[in-house]
Amino acid sequence: MGPVHVAGAYRGVVDILAALTLVVEFGMLRQALARDQIRLYAAQSALISVLAIVIGAGRGLTGLFALAGLSAALKVVAIPLVMRRLLRGPGRGGSGPAEAPGVAGSLSLSLASTVLWSLGLAAFGAFTFTAMNIHSPVAPAAALAIAAAMVLVSFALMIVRRDAVSQAIGYFSLDNAISLASLVVAAGLPLILETLFLFDLLVAVVVFGLLMRARHARGQSLSTAGLTKLRG
Amino acid sequence: MSAALPVPVIQALQVLTIAVGAPWVSGVIARMEARLQGRRGPRVLQPYYDLAKLFRKEALAPEGASWVFLAAPVAAVASYLTIPLLIPVLTSYGLPLGYMGDILGGGFMLSLASFLVAIAALETGSPYAQIGASRAKTFSAITEPVVLFVVFTASMLTGTDLPYAVAATVRSSAGQIVAPGHLLASAALFLVILHETSRIPVETHTGTNEFGMIDEARPFEHSGPYLGLLTWSSQIKQFVLYTLLLNVFLAPWGLSSTAQAGSVGLAILALLGKAALLGIIVAVIDNSFAKLRLFKITEFVSGAFLLAVLAVFTFYLGGV
Repeated sequence: MGPVHVAGAYRGVVDILAALTLVVEFGMLRQALARDQIRLYAAQSALISVLAIVIGAGRGLTGLFALAGLSAALKVVAIPLVMRRLLRGPGRGGSGPAEAPGVAGSLSLSLASTVLWSLGLAAFGAFTFTAMNIHSPVAPAAALAIAAAMVLVSFALMIVRRDAVSQAIGYFSLDNAISLASLVVAAGLPLILETLFLFDLLVAVVVFGLLMRARHARGQSLSTAGLTKLRG
Repeated sequence: MSAALPVPVIQALQVLTIAVGAPWVSGVIARMEARLQGRRGPRVLQPYYDLAKLFRKEALAPEGASWVFLAAPVAAVASYLTIPLLIPVLTSYGLPLGYMGDILGGGFMLSLASFLVAIAALETGSPYAQIGASRAKTFSAITEPVVLFVVFTASMLTGTDLPYAVAATVRSSAGQIVAPGHLLASAALFLVILHETSRIPVETHTGTNEFGMIDEARPFEHSGPYLGLLTWSSQIKQFVLYTLLLNVFLAPWGLSSTAQAGSVGLAILALLGKAALLGIIVAVIDNSFAKLRLFKITEFVSGAFLLAVLAVFTFYLGGV
């Protein structure tokens, strides 16, 4: 095994992890159940944490281990837990619906067309970023292009789904996409800054949590389709 | 040291392995499926007994059906058995007839066989056979783009779409195996194979519910040896597709690199073993998912299409 092989394998692993996060992003777009969407979000966050560990180990950036641990604790464990709690309904002790409400049927397009449109978006994001020719010493450029594609797909997720859960999940996965991009272009960023970005997410969780609670309490539904009508 | 086999013999062995091994692979899957459901299940060799029984029986044709109805099963088996000449079944080096056609050539042979069976089903005038043929053609039109994208990925990785060359590239380094483009394309091909071999979540393999049937409905009016040929041909198709996935994309190991009888024999055993493993995975999937409603199949195929297109993307993004 020469050094070239090691570099090849390192690159392969980073590329695979990045590609998998994009596949999971599409999985969230397709998923019909809120519960499974949250699970996919946790899986995506776990992939990002593993990627941080791989980059940290491969490039000797020990700060990334701490970041990986923190983001795993927050995004793999805490946020999915809070989301599931919120979905259990407004009543304490189970007066709400026993099962988490589904988000099936909240797509504003058919599933196959949604997939085709977001593939187009992903292609646009990925290829424009490749054309910018940004190279990074720590990670292959493909990961950055994939992060750009993920940003656009998570926007698509927020746009085509008409329910509060998908929109929250879309927003959180947008954060994952940006984490991926920052791992590629700014892996050596001081830990304190990275941590700050991570805690920004908590504010979003609180806001979305309130939104979901309020939406559910008002209309007994998480759908945002009815919010377009103005009531005097 | 065993004796070296002449090249034509190895070439014939490729076809024979597929033709004779195909019912065994189906038997393994059926047995495994039954075991997972807590039944004892049929013998692994049961498909051979079924075929032997069908070949002994009398053949009937519906009134008004022409020679096409009777010729289609024979032509279908012949088309499927042409494909093992083109893909690496036993050897890692190209055999002389292996360069007759590329992966697309193999794809054309698969489509030709499926087209002939559909025509024969239309000949019968039976509504169930016709609906099966019509559905099979409709859904094959939407899986075709997935197959094309998988072929694109393979040919971009290797610069050629000859199956032997693709397999050689995959074997050449560990980096090729973990390349995201390659893995995504293989996953897409696997989903297409689930679709093409009429497995859950697309179709119930052993179902008797005509309304959900696609491929299984087509031979409704065939009987006796003709039905036997059609059953055998779908087993051959399954084994050919498994071989394509295993020996070209996922695990092109265990192939013989020489013409020695011993190593060719080992290659036969390795192929059967790998196919049985893949069959077990398919059986597990069969038992863990529900069949999709007919109109949900587009969603399943759109998933496969997604993976295939992402494979092409990652290739272009440099993540080969």
